[in-house]
Amino acid sequence: MNQYTFSGTAKTVTIGAMIVGVVSMLLTWFVGADDLQSRFWSNFLHNSTFFLGISMMAFFFIAVCITAYAGWASVFKRVWEAMSANMLVGFIFMLVIALTTYFHWNHLYHWADAAAVAEDPILNGKKSFLNPNWYLFGTIIIVGTWVVFGRKMRSLSLDEDEDQGHDFAKHRSMRIWSAVFLPIMGFSSAAMIWQWLMSVDAHWYSTLYAWHAAVSWFVAMICLTILLLIYLKSKGLYKEVTNEHMHDLGKFLFAFSIFWTYMWFSQFMLIWYANIGEETTYFLLRREEYPILFYANLAVNFLIPFFVLMRNDTKRKLGSLAFVSLLVFIGHWLDFFLMIKPGVKITRDDHGHMAAHGEEVVHGAAEHGIHESVASSFEVGYTIPGLLELGTMIGFLGLFFFVTLTALSKAPLIAKNDPYLDESLHHHT
Amino acid sequence: MAHQDKEVIYGLYDDETDLLKAVKEAKDQHLEIMDVYSPFPVHGLDPILGLAESRLHIAGFVYGAIGTLTAFLGMTWIFTKDWPIIFGGKPYWSVPAFIPITFELTVLFSCVGMVITFYIVSGLGPGVTNDYLDDRITDDKFCIAFDMSEVDGAAAKSFLSDTGADVNQKII
Repeated sequence: MNQYTFSGTAKTVTIGAMIVGVVSMLLTWFVGADDLQSRFWSNFLHNSTFFLGISMMAFFFIAVCITAYAGWASVFKRVWEAMSANMLVGFIFMLVIALTTYFHWNHLYHWADAAAVAEDPILNGKKSFLNPNWYLFGTIIIVGTWVVFGRKMRSLSLDEDEDQGHDFAKHRSMRIWSAVFLPIMGFSSAAMIWQWLMSVDAHWYSTLYAWHAAVSWFVAMICLTILLLIYLKSKGLYKEVTNEHMHDLGKFLFAFSIFWTYMWFSQFMLIWYANIGEETTYFLLRREEYPILFYANLAVNFLIPFFVLMRNDTKRKLGSLAFVSLLVFIGHWLDFFLMIKPGVKITRDDHGHMAAHGEEVVHGAAEHGIHESVASSFEVGYTIPGLLELGTMIGFLGLFFFVTLTALSKAPLIAKNDPYLDESLHHHT
Repeated sequence: MAHQDKEVIYGLYDDETDLLKAVKEAKDQHLEIMDVYSPFPVHGLDPILGLAESRLHIAGFVYGAIGTLTAFLGMTWIFTKDWPIIFGGKPYWSVPAFIPITFELTVLFSCVGMVITFYIVSGLGPGVTNDYLDDRITDDKFCIAFDMSEVDGAAAKSFLSDTGADVNQKII
């Protein structure tokens, strides 16, 4: 069987998950206590960026494989092509966020407040990058570029199926598109991560942040790939995807979990060692007010994959792979939660503070957030993910799989004219 | 090491696919293979020969764990008991600062330990000469060897020549 049909339980479950997501988002909107709707918007931002990044990484990995002459994954590259179809969905969601930021219908970003920027020398200095115009324009241009590349690669891959001869013209063309995409992705993803995610802590910056977030995306992408392949295999499809391929995906999960930890720790240790107030505030806040998430993040995203997947046989067994993938996927979702929510909470509290007292906000960066927010501390939806956050995530996940499986059902599961297919079928680790 | 002379009959193949086919064939004919030699690791050979998974990585894990403990406990002792110094206003026992060195020593112990273990287990080392059947099995030939005391010599010889090997005999 070389064709997946998207129907029955899979369709019901993904649509059900999407309904759960919509209901959760509506509830968040109406239950949300503050008039800024920061909980709604930060959930939206959190999941949009997370799943857009995952789909972009799926496409990135196809491009890496083609450029590096890596053939082992050719047999299931349609899965990644299908996942990268989500870039268009992510583009639309990010457009919503960019537009609402532009018209100031949300208050996710401190720098989006023109009055605050004018009084604040730090934000004033960052104005040329952190401003609503570039946020909107950059998002459209950069994510638009990703979408164009993704669709081009997909159409080349589908055309390749129709090829009669063996001149590999389509593959040569794909090679050029991939090689062009890699540097574009390398620089543009960092810029997007800075403006979408890092700028929620508008005073703070870290050069390793973009790496850390991008690796989070990558690991989550590998997790979803493993889970999706296991699902498809359970339906009797992809018999050609053997334990050897799963072993290699397990290795990627293992290795990139360690790489993620390397990034996370490098960022932490440099800031801890230098001990500059305006940098340490980021970790101080997270360690003081988010201790469970802060340490659970390391445990789930490092210790579990490291010790479970260290052995040869756990990477070859679908059970242990699925278990680790699921946990690590949730772990990276929590990592994004921890990146976004504290900053959004401070921005919201400051805004409320300003409105209540009509005070000018004076920010020494070091005291920014710490003194004021210690008093306000625990709040479901900001300090820990509540049911509405989980519901929203389930909705986005449902949509992600709905789009992925729809795209997957539109083409044969195996790209029969891929020049590396034979190598992939005989893959042996 | 006590050395016992063995009479060995062996065949040289030009290609690893011929070698794989021949090994499968020998298994089917229940010929007891003494050993297989190749210039590089041949994919799929281990399961056909029925070789157990190497235990070298378990040794590697143990060495790594020793490295972790050595580094971490060593630094703990040095910086809290033996010679406490304040660096940059940090506490004596600053765990984040220990982690890079702990990582390095884990890798070092694990790697060096595995190399030494591998050399000992394989009987390799500086100044050691090992017997080998043919020069070209370190270059471009693939070899299946039978111990004459374990198999019927005529059967082995006909098997090797039937599967396309260049047949030789040697006492090692």
